Amino acid sequence: MIDASRIITEALVQSGADVFVGYPITPSNLFYSYSKERFPEFLAGPDEISVLQWMCGYSAAGKIPVTATAFPGLALMTETLNMAYMMELPMVLIITQRLGPSTGSATTGAQGDLKFLDGIISGGFPMPIFSPSNFNDAWILSNEAVKTAVKFRTPVIILTSKELVMTQKSFDINSLETLEKIDRTPKEFEAPFQPYKAGIDMVPTFYPLGNDEYQVRFNASTHDNEGLIRKGTPESLANTWRLREKLEKRIDEYSFFELDAEDGANDLIVTWGVSADASRDTVKSMRGKGKKVSLLIVKTILPISQNIYDIIDSYKTITFAEENMTGMFKEMIFGKRKTSKIKTATKFGAMLTPSEIEEIVN
Amino acid sequence: MEAAEKILTKAKMPFCPGCGHGVCVRSTSKALENLGYGPKDVVMVSDIGCSGLVDPLFETHTIHGLHGRAPALGVGVALGLDNPNKKVVVIQGDGGATIGLQHILEASRRNIDMTLIVINNLLYGMTGGQMSGLSTNEFKDYKNSDDDADPYDVVNLAHQSGAAFSVRVNEISNFTDVLKEAINTPGFSLVELSSLCTSYGMKKISEMKGFIVEEKKLININPIGESKKRDTNSLLSNVKVLEKQFESNIEDSVGIVIAGSAGGGVQSAAKILAQAGILSGLYTTMKGEYPITVGTGFSVAEVILSKKPIHFTGLEKPSVILAVTEDGWTKVKNRVAHESRVLVDRKICADCSYDVKDFVKVGGKKGAALSAVSYWVKETGIFPVDALFKVVESSKYTAPLQKAIKSAEELREVVYSYVPEIKRKN
Repeated sequence: MIDASRIITEALVQSGADVFVGYPITPSNLFYSYSKERFPEFLAGPDEISVLQWMCGYSAAGKIPVTATAFPGLALMTETLNMAYMMELPMVLIITQRLGPSTGSATTGAQGDLKFLDGIISGGFPMPIFSPSNFNDAWILSNEAVKTAVKFRTPVIILTSKELVMTQKSFDINSLETLEKIDRTPKEFEAPFQPYKAGIDMVPTFYPLGNDEYQVRFNASTHDNEGLIRKGTPESLANTWRLREKLEKRIDEYSFFELDAEDGANDLIVTWGVSADASRDTVKSMRGKGKKVSLLIVKTILPISQNIYDIIDSYKTITFAEENMTGMFKEMIFGKRKTSKIKTATKFGAMLTPSEIEEIVN
Repeated sequence: MEAAEKILTKAKMPFCPGCGHGVCVRSTSKALENLGYGPKDVVMVSDIGCSGLVDPLFETHTIHGLHGRAPALGVGVALGLDNPNKKVVVIQGDGGATIGLQHILEASRRNIDMTLIVINNLLYGMTGGQMSGLSTNEFKDYKNSDDDADPYDVVNLAHQSGAAFSVRVNEISNFTDVLKEAINTPGFSLVELSSLCTSYGMKKISEMKGFIVEEKKLININPIGESKKRDTNSLLSNVKVLEKQFESNIEDSVGIVIAGSAGGGVQSAAKILAQAGILSGLYTTMKGEYPITVGTGFSVAEVILSKKPIHFTGLEKPSVILAVTEDGWTKVKNRVAHESRVLVDRKICADCSYDVKDFVKVGGKKGAALSAVSYWVKETGIFPVDALFKVVESSKYTAPLQKAIKSAEELREVVYSYVPEIKRKN
């Protein structure tokens, strides 16, 4: 018997994450206890703002820090998350969704934080958010989270839900593939070194604070290639614009999804995270009854890649299955406007069930 | 260390004419150079406000963060570097010290090896000269401020929280020497420097007397805070591997809800049932639900046993509900479906239409849930009860768990009202 909290924690450490900085919160508590046992370094912060500030310090010093929280903690971390994004600091945040608003019901799962995360970086900048749908995803996407954080010099979020990370399941741990530890050797750059000068890949070479070779400057404010505050200069604005470009233009390098396409199907179920397994059962049930239906499980939930739009556009009717009030992922693609082509199977305060999804698709 | 290199750049001071911040910056630079630090030995961490303009003035590594958070950022840098040859120096103003006071107390409490310089000009200089938490009452009177709450004494607060060295200096001529002493002190040092704001405060340093708090130096002898590194083992290496040893008669899947009270062994009974299922070649899931105050109120667990891999882990219609206390029954009774087999303890409802058993009587408060599980396993023959015994063999509490499993035998003479339905199709 094993749970996804254990799988994610182990995968992050095997991928090269160095330190867990945590403040306990339900339903991310298992991450806290497992990390205390497993991470080479573990720190208990006094509050969520301190947690993320400490992580930024660790990251700037060349380490890969990790934390786990839920919406109330994420809300407190938001300003610092913007700082980490602006400074281009690699790190991983695990967000376990629970029922809101506010403190809501700490031990009830949900998928209600997606729209908050979509706009969490002021200015509408993208940030990679991975949403595992099962234990195998939890393992592989945790590795991809560390890889993406380092490769793109960005915070990465693993977006989970209470039922996904706290439910124990029988599972063959030998089925997990060997993970690659992420290499942190600084990549080559065109001299002279400047901490925010990027090459063709749009990501500056990372050297940590305190290194003996190059002066390094990190900056949370609009800055030039040197890392010094510059208000509104072409160089500093281009530097900020680059934060979007590096993630949008190279989205295919970290965009993951699972498409179970059935020939001749007009119906597509689109889902993510904890609602994916229910949708898998729905598809099995419907196909058992002779109904043609395809299933798209989105695993890089943000930013949304063109592949996702193309798949959705190729079906006549789309049902979004999500454990929130209005269908947040659906709204991010189609807005709030109702059309006959779009259906939403949603649930508030409990898991969406396979039969409920099937009823909406039909 | 690269003592020959200068700490300061040749950049022009960005401060207003007469501002005291320039003196603070030059004194800091002198102190570092006198102590033999080169630019790459130092990380300057800056905050927001006039004191946050210092980055271009330093040839050192720099990191410019958020309002009030620089001390916390400095803690992360210091612990992340973990190198006694590198010095982390944080600079913030009195506004930053106000909004981020918790971070100063935390750095002091942990005695992190870094130096925090609080440049106190008694006001928020960048936003129009508003009063801060460090503005003195005399200064607030002078500025016609209505706020008469006493200011924070950050030197005292840092000391009381455990800082190795905390000091307030008003005399400019002493800045460099005191900063040297602070930077040279292992552990957390805080230096509050008085600074003149010519735009919103006074025009001359001599006019500040009477508006500032007197000098003070406080020392603690505490161990330096560090983050301990350790070797750890894989979290997968200590997962109990369960190989099939028993046979199960199940054809599809069955979902069981176990409902009781906190401390009644509900979660462990569910886990034993799920693990026994794995020993019998089944796929299983197990989840718990309980109030956030885990020591009181209901405790409910759900277990799915299935011949095939399980995707959806929820239970739309429980096949079986085992309720052993009123708390648990209240929580789950609205989940009873047409096909649910319901077994309840006699204390919940002696004369209700469900099957009533004396689980608590035979199993005790802590063993009732496992007694109910054992009874149901035996009754249905879903797999041998021996699978339950096998699971608890390696437990810390083998004897009481075995007793609870065995207690179900005392319920055997009861005549069942109907044959249980366990072969539910999805």
